[in-house]
Amino acid sequence: MIGRIAAALTALCCLAAAPADSPVNVPEPEGLYAGPPHGYTPPTLKGAAVVDADALAALMAGPDKPVLIDVAAPDRKPSNFPAGRLWLPVHPSIPGAVWMPEAGAEPLAPEREALFYERVAELTGGDKAKPIVVFCHVECWGSWNAAKRLARKGYTGIRWFPEGVEGWQEKHETTNLRVDPAWKAASEKQAGR
Amino acid sequence: MTFRIGQTLSSLALGLAVATTALTPVAWAAGASDTDQERAARWQEIAKSIFGDRQIAQTDSLVKIDAPARALDAALVPITLTMPNDGQIKAVSLIIDDNPAPYAAKFEFGPAADPAELKLRVRVNNYTDMHAVVETQDGKLYEAKQFVKASGGCSAPMGMSDEEAMKGMGDMRMKFAETGAGKPVEATLMVRHPNFSGMQMNQVSREYTPARYIDKLTVSAGDQKVFTLTGDISIASNPVINFAFKPDGKPIQVAASDNQGGHWQHSFNPPAPTN
Repeated sequence: MIGRIAAALTALCCLAAAPADSPVNVPEPEGLYAGPPHGYTPPTLKGAAVVDADALAALMAGPDKPVLIDVAAPDRKPSNFPAGRLWLPVHPSIPGAVWMPEAGAEPLAPEREALFYERVAELTGGDKAKPIVVFCHVECWGSWNAAKRLARKGYTGIRWFPEGVEGWQEKHETTNLRVDPAWKAASEKQAGR
Repeated sequence: MTFRIGQTLSSLALGLAVATTALTPVAWAAGASDTDQERAARWQEIAKSIFGDRQIAQTDSLVKIDAPARALDAALVPITLTMPNDGQIKAVSLIIDDNPAPYAAKFEFGPAADPAELKLRVRVNNYTDMHAVVETQDGKLYEAKQFVKASGGCSAPMGMSDEEAMKGMGDMRMKFAETGAGKPVEATLMVRHPNFSGMQMNQVSREYTPARYIDKLTVSAGDQKVFTLTGDISIASNPVINFAFKPDGKPIQVAASDNQGGHWQHSFNPPAPTN
């Protein structure tokens, strides 16, 4: 018992101090994860089911089609990339997914967080029990955070797909996505365009 | 150079807006499945942007790409380009179609080149077609294609601090293979350089390391050029290039420069031919 408490304390202290550096036994953070976005993630998420690619494919083939939400960051064009040199980023993802880049960022600007909830409410038709699959890349905290946000908001059908697009493309076709138009418009507005 | 979240988002939005403008004429809409047709359309667009309206014929003899169908490390994918060494190849370009910066490398050969086999290591960001396009001495273009499964190579962090990654930047080594008299010599050039892609985030500071990559590298045998490489962010860190040249007993000169004004020169003595 004492050993278990000590282990829990150790986990807590290290969580606060450094990014998770072990592929196993990464503890769930108390709230949203504010550390480096890329890194080992916990095997669980309270308030959500964890699915693998086969379970996801089965869910997508079933009668109650899930809402697929991709929160991966887009490829960032280097600030000093030479003008005139070819730059053509693509974003392969799960077919049918809605791409809201970095909706799992922490902190997230309040107006973007509000927009995220608004878009999910639209996509689920206000059905809090609707199956929702949240993903980004493998070892990406963004999807963990975004799924956590929805769990806190009272959604009960959340699936977190930690393998992300890398896990999906192993056996399944991908589609090149564009950013969700509403999400994109808000990004441009925020950028002062 | 600090990228807080807001700034990152705004620069991303800008990048996306630019990308969208650039992509407008292309006929692959959101929601279309990523089929062979879509890949072909993308290649058409890329080829047009690099080679203009020049015709590119298919070839299975003038260039061949060997790459692992599934790469172990997307940031370090070994590529072999095989070409005839009878002097008809003037240049070869390597294009990684689904990398954000698809034009990975161009090698322009000189009189001392033996382009029979050229090896380099690249970053691959998505499952992708890879194209090698050769230009022959008569100005014609020929292409070969290979599909590669790897992803995330362009943004993969190096796993060390930027300072550590830049230690000894510009140092070079060259190894020569045993050779017979009058035969081409095989050489391996190793350049110490992080070749930062500009897409790698420092996991501690959460800032993006600015792109710093070798944009030009020239190898000469005495006064004769072997090749000039025009490089890009898709070339893996610490570039390693295997090539062959026709020896004339003089030292091999290597001159490299990067996009941030770095310039390095080294000279290597090839082994005396053994009979």
